[in-house]
Amino acid sequence: MNEAVLKLENLSKTYTLGKRNVQALSNVNLQVNKGEFVAIMGPSGSGKTTLLNILGCLDKPTAGLVLLDGVDVTSLPEKELYKIRGSKIGFVFQTFNLLPYLNARENVELPMESLKVPKDERKRRAGELLAMVGLSGREEHRPQRLSAGEQQRVAIARALANNPALILADEPTGNLDAKNKYEIVKLLANLNINQGTTIIMVTHDSNVASQAERLLFLNDGKITREKQGLHLVKKKLMCPYCGGKIQAEDTMCPSCRKKLKYQGEEDGD
Amino acid sequence: MGVLSRAIRNISRRKIRALLVIIALGFCMAIMVSIPAGVTANQESTLALTQNLGSVITQTEATINQTLTQIECTLAPSFEGFGFAPPSSGSSGNMAQPPIGGNFTPSRPFGGGNIPGQFGGGQFGSRGTTPMNESLYYDISSIEGVVAVVPTLTVSQGTNQTMEMFGRSFTRLVVDYVIEGVPLTSVIDEYPILPTNITAGRNLQAGDSGVVLISANNSAFFGVGVGDTIEILGQTFLVVGIHGSTGVEDQLTLYMNLSDAQSLTGNVGYITGLTVFAESSAVVSDVASAISELHPELTVVTGQQRLQQLEAMRRNYETALANAESTLAQTQGTAVQVTIVAVAAASLIVLFVMLYTVRERTREIGTLKAIGFSDWTVMSQFMLEGVLLSLVASVVGIAVASFAAPTLSGLLLPTVTQQVNMGRGVTAATASTGTASVTLTPELVLMALGGAALLGALGSLYPAWRAARTRPAEAMRYE
Ligand SMILES: Nc1ncnc2c1ncn2[C@@H]1O[C@H](COP(=O)(O)OP(=O)(O)OP(=O)(O)O)[C@@H](O)[C@H]1O
Ligand SMILES: [Mg+2]
Repeated sequence: MNEAVLKLENLSKTYTLGKRNVQALSNVNLQVNKGEFVAIMGPSGSGKTTLLNILGCLDKPTAGLVLLDGVDVTSLPEKELYKIRGSKIGFVFQTFNLLPYLNARENVELPMESLKVPKDERKRRAGELLAMVGLSGREEHRPQRLSAGEQQRVAIARALANNPALILADEPTGNLDAKNKYEIVKLLANLNINQGTTIIMVTHDSNVASQAERLLFLNDGKITREKQGLHLVKKKLMCPYCGGKIQAEDTMCPSCRKKLKYQGEEDGD
Repeated sequence: MGVLSRAIRNISRRKIRALLVIIALGFCMAIMVSIPAGVTANQESTLALTQNLGSVITQTEATINQTLTQIECTLAPSFEGFGFAPPSSGSSGNMAQPPIGGNFTPSRPFGGGNIPGQFGGGQFGSRGTTPMNESLYYDISSIEGVVAVVPTLTVSQGTNQTMEMFGRSFTRLVVDYVIEGVPLTSVIDEYPILPTNITAGRNLQAGDSGVVLISANNSAFFGVGVGDTIEILGQTFLVVGIHGSTGVEDQLTLYMNLSDAQSLTGNVGYITGLTVFAESSAVVSDVASAISELHPELTVVTGQQRLQQLEAMRRNYETALANAESTLAQTQGTAVQVTIVAVAAASLIVLFVMLYTVRERTREIGTLKAIGFSDWTVMSQFMLEGVLLSLVASVVGIAVASFAAPTLSGLLLPTVTQQVNMGRGVTAATASTGTASVTLTPELVLMALGGAALLGALGSLYPAWRAARTRPAEAMRYE
């Protein structure tokens, strides 16, 4: 079942800085299907954030098409775009971007508010989502009382609030220590496996990226390489080295006893 | 969590800042509330001044015009001791039969009678206090052009009060009532000598004796009404009527037969003044000079002279009024300026605070937009914050104004009373009305809240628009 959630056709983006033009993206073609977990890697300045902004309807391309759930969003006016952002996309930011004066539950409720979900329903769903990201009991805590990893969990719960077709995460682990990095990636991976959430994640970290099933490499605004991530085999619950059966939680293949390093832990390479 | 509760939380998040902003805004609002009250107070005091003085002048003029043929003759105080002293003059102040005079100068309803106290003080039309031997002045009636000579006796009754001041004691007479003796002959039917405004009972009539016509003030003082008897200096009188005094000076006056008054006060044969009626207004000045020639010791004041004095007073009054009006105009001008400055200051405070807030929260705004908030929601969020801030400030402002309005308007506005100097009575009458006070009427509270909301909306319009225009990509930026 290859149902395209996102399709990019000949996407280009040129920033104009005074007289200088910066070609941030050139001729990008990409299709992301429902239930995929895609990681985008690339050096600094290669256009990762630019791409994500365009996918998230935060910015417009200079040329090309962006089809989101079959709708070309490049031609939509702003007053339609905010609805798309609210209902079809969930954002996870490097800096979490929680509202400091709202508690965890209220932060998760925010996107539902703009879709006019009734208050009781909002509260119920926010509670559910927080439980899903492992924060039950912390609903009334404000961001400053949560650790960085916990804040990012709240942000992920918030991104899921309106059941979006697509989760966009720009360096979701960029501000986290090794342990939290691992926790967050595991959370995203499990969401992808258990809920079938489509995820596009930008990262510098190869360990983090390897958790995805597709790895795209961006260089100078072009997708230069694509590779299968380890997540794919994990989804199939099969060891990438010996082909033996594994469990999703395993850190080591029970048959060949090789370390399943894509779990995002410290590795020896 | 709605837009409103987020706005409230955002304001209360930065407590010190919110407090400072609210104090500054509240001060502007207090000024805005106090200024109109100050203007109103000044308008009221000017109006009071206009009405008060205007009616006094009109009344006085009318009275004088009615009595243009009337000439007041009194003995100047300096003539006391020239052999005109009454039989009782040798005795001291607080005996049963006090000396004529005292330090209160009552007058009759004609002449200066309708002029309130502030214009009195013996300026004109007032009764003499120095006793005159009645028989010395019979010759006046034979002057050509004189149609009637009415002798009167005016005696103040009161209690001596002794006060200690700077280690010395002073005695002053506090007047309780004033006895005015008027000849009750047919002359009172022909000439305006008695009060005309009778509020109860009847007026005195020719041939009355042993009866009095009292004022409302007397009635309260003695605790008597029409038909009651009253004891004055040991003698009993029947109260036949009560006169409604129209001026300050006959408020304390009770009228009786001249001969009753003379024997009652021990002044038989003595009077304190003569009212001479001339044939016509054309001969008044001739008659007056004839009287002066005959009795150079007398102070002779004609209706014409009283009119001239009144004219001087009117000019004085008009100057005062013009002063008051120009002060009022100045007040209104200043009020407009001060209000504009206060409104501008308040709007600028809201503008800068909200601009700062929007700038500070760029990331937050970007996030809200990225997760699906519309421009309109973001804009209303910030507008509401500005409006809430001003509303809270306006409550503070009203509270401050409710006790500090007089100080604020006094500091910022010129007051009418400072500019008007009409003589003691007038200044005293208006001194207290020049300062504004703010009463918290529901209309005022509503107006202040409405104004504050409007101002808050105006001040935060641009910042909120800026917020709405924030590009959501800002949420992705990490520095
Ligand atoms: N608003 C902008 N105006 C002008 N140039 C921009 C703008 N945003 C990005 N660029 C330029 O476009 C190019 C791609 O930037 P982008 O932020 O997408 O890179 P990135 O891959 O996300 O880098 P990093 O890994 O450092 O986050 C860079 O050369 C950058 O300088
Ligand atoms: Mg980037």
